[in-house]
Amino acid sequence: MEEPRIGVYICWCGTNIAKMVDVEAVASEVSSMPHVVLAKNYKYMCSDPGQELIIKDIKVHNLNRVIVAACSPRIHELTFRTACEKAGINPYLFEMANIREQDSWVHTDRSEATKKAIDLVIAAIRRVRFHEALEKRSVSVNPATLVIGGGIAGMTASLEIAASGKQVYLVEKADHLGGMVAQLDLTFPHLSSAQQIIHPLIQRVKNNPNIKVFLNTQIQQVHGYIGNFNTTILQNGNESVEIEFGNIIAAVGLKPFDPVVIPEYGYKKIPDVVTSVEFEQMLLSGLIQTSEGKDPRNVAIIHCVGSRNKKFHEYCSRVCCMTALKYVHQIRAALPDANIFEVYADMRAYGKGHEEFYAHTTHKQIIFLMFDQQTGLPRIRKAGAADKCNIIIEMDELLSGISIEVPVDMVVLMTNMEAHDDVKEVVRSIGVSLCGNQFFIEKHPKLDPVATTTGGVYIVGGCQGPKDIPDSVSQARAAAARILATIAQESVPVEVTTAQVNELLCCGCQTCVRVCPYSAVSYDESKKSSVVNEVLCKGCGTCGAACPAGAIKCKHFTDSQILAEIEGIMSLSYKY
Amino acid sequence: MEFRPTLVAFLCNWCSYTGADLAGTSRLHYAPNIRIIRIMCSGRIEPTFVLKAFQQGADGVLICGCHPGDCHYQEGNYKCLRRYKLIQKYTQQMGIEKERLRLEWISASEGKQFAELVNDMTKTLLQVGPSKVKGTLEVEHLKK
Repeated sequence: MEEPRIGVYICWCGTNIAKMVDVEAVASEVSSMPHVVLAKNYKYMCSDPGQELIIKDIKVHNLNRVIVAACSPRIHELTFRTACEKAGINPYLFEMANIREQDSWVHTDRSEATKKAIDLVIAAIRRVRFHEALEKRSVSVNPATLVIGGGIAGMTASLEIAASGKQVYLVEKADHLGGMVAQLDLTFPHLSSAQQIIHPLIQRVKNNPNIKVFLNTQIQQVHGYIGNFNTTILQNGNESVEIEFGNIIAAVGLKPFDPVVIPEYGYKKIPDVVTSVEFEQMLLSGLIQTSEGKDPRNVAIIHCVGSRNKKFHEYCSRVCCMTALKYVHQIRAALPDANIFEVYADMRAYGKGHEEFYAHTTHKQIIFLMFDQQTGLPRIRKAGAADKCNIIIEMDELLSGISIEVPVDMVVLMTNMEAHDDVKEVVRSIGVSLCGNQFFIEKHPKLDPVATTTGGVYIVGGCQGPKDIPDSVSQARAAAARILATIAQESVPVEVTTAQVNELLCCGCQTCVRVCPYSAVSYDESKKSSVVNEVLCKGCGTCGAACPAGAIKCKHFTDSQILAEIEGIMSLSYKY
Repeated sequence: MEFRPTLVAFLCNWCSYTGADLAGTSRLHYAPNIRIIRIMCSGRIEPTFVLKAFQQGADGVLICGCHPGDCHYQEGNYKCLRRYKLIQKYTQQMGIEKERLRLEWISASEGKQFAELVNDMTKTLLQVGPSKVKGTLEVEHLKK
């Protein structure tokens, strides 16, 4: 092994790290360690000048190992590996110490956080000495794409990819395309028809020779890796079809929350208390009428049903406020004399044209009534025989501070959007994680919002988090562009941190063959040794841990590297 | 001097390490005595790693993986669970108290649970006291 020449860089991340970790102390503490040629600290290591600093030092000081102590490697490991590569050293001779997410952001004692940072950097220094150069490997890309979900996001992505002449398999579990948008009448803030948006799209998808649509279809476990996936899809519950594809877009959307669990609202118990989705159906039919077939004289629209309340969902569904304002226009047009009550907790008009829409709607002779979403949900009850209305809403009006009763004939509940019941099976089958709200987790919320940690798997539309039509379409096109770029390259780099068997040490027990979840290890009779198929191996390291002979090396997570890291990680806390 | 337990944690890259990162992005505070080592899968855990950590002076060792059924590598966490039971058996025979070694499932969304887990284990270790095997174990440093 060549003599390690290590360069260490401690990032301030502005004040994110520097305010809790004494970055200068960390650099000076490790600067005299064996093999450390230099230790520097800098404001933003990931910035261009930060990366240039590394590149220049590698060349000037002939460094062959680099450590950056900064944010999580999940965020910038690739950035710095690329910088190393630019300077001519193998990207795997780099190591990162996580002193932001797992240090400065979670601790409150500066001296403790600094000590921890020093420990983590020392561990990285010890570990990086054992790093080995790994050669990049790439695989060919199957130009077909699997799109899961036939709503506006899935269809948009499919059309974008199909337009370049590539095959798309569009899988939809329902018996029709269109998703949520197909259930809407008008859209906000321009009050244009949702049907006129979605139906031409459905026709274009159906008529596109490059898009094969599978309705009533569920996906099964997806096998393979970026560029080379395959699965069996189950159509109509029994016909199985084998398909192969290089990339995946999940666009499974969300479903409306069922307000039956909120006792205050009496949904399904009190007639004429309807959800927003049911109200859309009414609007599509062209008639806003009570269950008795009469024109309602008073209509209340209740916001945040199932949203922004820890008992149901803590998050904001984003589209309901504007949809509720949209209803004002539609009700006012159909029933010019009706009284309209917007019963709201907060009005959120974050998007393009939304605030203007809100301002414009307030001139439509409507009454805004505010309630406390945490402690004072309005209570809906059926009106008595003597009342001149069907329903009475009791509420503590927040702005006036008085308790009131609102007589109405119809209540529209603006229901939250939540994950589908089968979302866990979907994410499991494609190797994506869910956040606490059951939304698909993106690779990076800001820098990589449509990719996931599984190469070749993208997430778009509502399943990534509630969003309106423009945002869903933007994501769909973004993911399609990412995939088309991969297809255009024809090959894609894959994980090189695979397992490797030392044939001299292998005793032939075949434990590794049995534990491998990907059937990547097989036993070669002629060599009397196990062998790893590098294309199938995903680098989990289970075989390496199971091998009783110590014959399997898990590249980049070798025993030597991990043990060296353990040796360094308690350097300051405990010395014996 | 006041006893300050050191805790070494092995976290799988996909669920638990991401969960620990989430604790950071959520600015949840927990005890600073923990030192995290990233591995790709909890299935990579070898007895040697655990012993090495105890030898180096850890008062506790924590292994975290994806929840059952959620393993990024399909079933590495189950293999870890089996191995953990074995490791637990012989570390106890070596005189290392049961409470010092713990396996928990932390998903990518469980930043809060991770922070609570670290504090909880730290509290336990404070009660159990300093590890008696510090510096007494011989763990071979395998070179391959």
